[in-house]
Amino acid sequence: MSTDEAAGGTGGTDGRRADALAAVSAAFHAGAARLPDPLGRVLQPHTERDRERRRVIALCAPFCLLATVAGVYPLSEMLRISVSEAKYVSEGFSLSAYERLLADPHLRASAVNTLWFSLATTIVSLGVATATAHALEKYDLPFRGALLTLLSFPISLPGIVAAFMIIVLLGNTGLVTNLVAWFTGRSSVDLAVATSVGGLFVAYCYSMIPRAFLLLRGSYAEVNERTEEAARSLGASPARTFYHVTLPQIKPGVIGAFILTFRTALAIFGTVLILQTLRVWTYEIDYALSSGSGFDIQLAAAMATVWFAFVLGFTALGLRYTSAEVGL
Amino acid sequence: MSDADSGPVRGGGTDDQTDDRPRPDGGLTVEDRQIRERSWKRSPSAVLGRPLVLTVFALTFLFLVFPVVATFVASFAREWTGVLPSGFVTLTHWEQVLGFGGYEDAADYSLKLGAVLRTLTENPLAAPSQSPLFRSMWLALGGVLVNLVVGVPIAYAVARYEFPGRDLLNAFAVLPLAPGIVLGVAFLRAYPELSGTDFGLIVGYSLLKAPFMVMAVQSSFESMPLRQLEESARSLGASWPRTFLSVIVPNAKRGIVSGAIICWALAAAEFNFSYVVFSRGARPLALFLKANISNSSFLTTAAAVSVFFLLVAAVTAALQLLGNRGFST
Repeated sequence: MSTDEAAGGTGGTDGRRADALAAVSAAFHAGAARLPDPLGRVLQPHTERDRERRRVIALCAPFCLLATVAGVYPLSEMLRISVSEAKYVSEGFSLSAYERLLADPHLRASAVNTLWFSLATTIVSLGVATATAHALEKYDLPFRGALLTLLSFPISLPGIVAAFMIIVLLGNTGLVTNLVAWFTGRSSVDLAVATSVGGLFVAYCYSMIPRAFLLLRGSYAEVNERTEEAARSLGASPARTFYHVTLPQIKPGVIGAFILTFRTALAIFGTVLILQTLRVWTYEIDYALSSGSGFDIQLAAAMATVWFAFVLGFTALGLRYTSAEVGL
Repeated sequence: MSDADSGPVRGGGTDDQTDDRPRPDGGLTVEDRQIRERSWKRSPSAVLGRPLVLTVFALTFLFLVFPVVATFVASFAREWTGVLPSGFVTLTHWEQVLGFGGYEDAADYSLKLGAVLRTLTENPLAAPSQSPLFRSMWLALGGVLVNLVVGVPIAYAVARYEFPGRDLLNAFAVLPLAPGIVLGVAFLRAYPELSGTDFGLIVGYSLLKAPFMVMAVQSSFESMPLRQLEESARSLGASWPRTFLSVIVPNAKRGIVSGAIICWALAAAEFNFSYVVFSRGARPLALFLKANISNSSFLTTAAAVSVFFLLVAAVTAALQLLGNRGFST
């Protein structure tokens, strides 16, 4: 085939394509013109402001699509089955699953367990993380970068691995267990606490301390050091300086870290699945789905809905009525 | 603390003879002893504060890092019955976990790398999917690709433009909407057929891990003069889509790459969602770990967990090369 022919050929298709494009675009413009004004302006902008709006919409569209397909639609289906009259098909409206939730004393106990356990582990983790962040940011520690990397290593470990780490430390053949047994001469099996509530507490902290630490480190980086130096040179003790000068400055970060860490604690599931000591809410959701309770998706959906509503409300209230700063 | 701090100063010097005569310049008289006490008496927090905080730091550090190191070391030991593991160095547990050697047939919970290698020549495309490692890598990669398309534009929209609902949208993009287990229940109900397939897992992972991508990219965008970049590119004749793709995105490359690495590692490690939704095919990595923790011997589990540690270490090293310090949530 000669180049001329090829060029002519593509020219021909180009021409036909251009005609088709023109027709499509004319139809599109005609259609867009008939749309109500705000919508029409998005598709066919007149001013720079309209164009900017179109860009914002185009930029947000992929996220909104994903959030709808993977978030909003599944969650709404979950809500519908939880209030359905039939067990496996969403139809009618009944609150029987929620009534079962309220009536079951085990589930009520589980809700109380989840709340106090999450709250206690969050407070302990935040306290420890504040001290850790303080030491790393205020004292000139050697190998600071390496310490930071190692401290943030456990963040990417899933809850089941955190549970295994606690077994390594506190299990029947655990390092700490064996060490204490060796010193006291008692049997290591009696000393092992990994599968007790105390062991679970430590396992929760294992997942939460690094997260809280990284969040707090961001707030520490923004502290104005001059105010602290001024307080110290005016005679305030370090404790007083921390309480009256440093703490007010990191307070929004601490509240933000509290909200995020508490959410993390409420969502922990793998750790409980391995250590099996306390029946928390997430564990009960999984139990409702197991064959032991006959794949009760209605109950599981109701429990998941309660969880979701609680955390959403808690986060919204927390962000609205406190000075919390979320993010890094 | 503050009372103890000022106590000795106030109470000091009562039995000394004091100079009560007013000073000629009208100033206050200060006792000698008061000055001396002030100069050597330190508050308890000045004495104890730093050692105390450092002790907490050291204990936290040991608590977080020591079990990781111990697990890795123990995975090469023959037995662990006493205080410390003994019988170094053996690769038995690693062979068992990776699925090599004589363990291949019995290795129900292994990574099945041996089987992958054997069938690689017959069926190069399908072979890797037998292994939890490669399946997880592929699923996590799918999640990252979705997150790139989703996360980068919304991070730019929030960082660059003002529009109604911006803060709310940002909150939704940065805070995880629902945790793995709740989303898993929702997926089981909404997509009963699809939820356990690659599609379901990839879509779920991408929503769960999107906040990390958005945050990483946003921190890159926040350090860039976005308006100037966009306006100069536009004034030089680039269309807006072209400006976005060939000026803005390449400038934020570092944040995008580190966000992708973080998302990938977290998606490969996602347990709660996979556990609820998973139905068939090779187990994702986190479920492989669960199967080992529940069923294998202690030291074999140590090797399985160590495989995961190596993965995280590789990811951390990659992030360090990019100038990030490890993970951030």
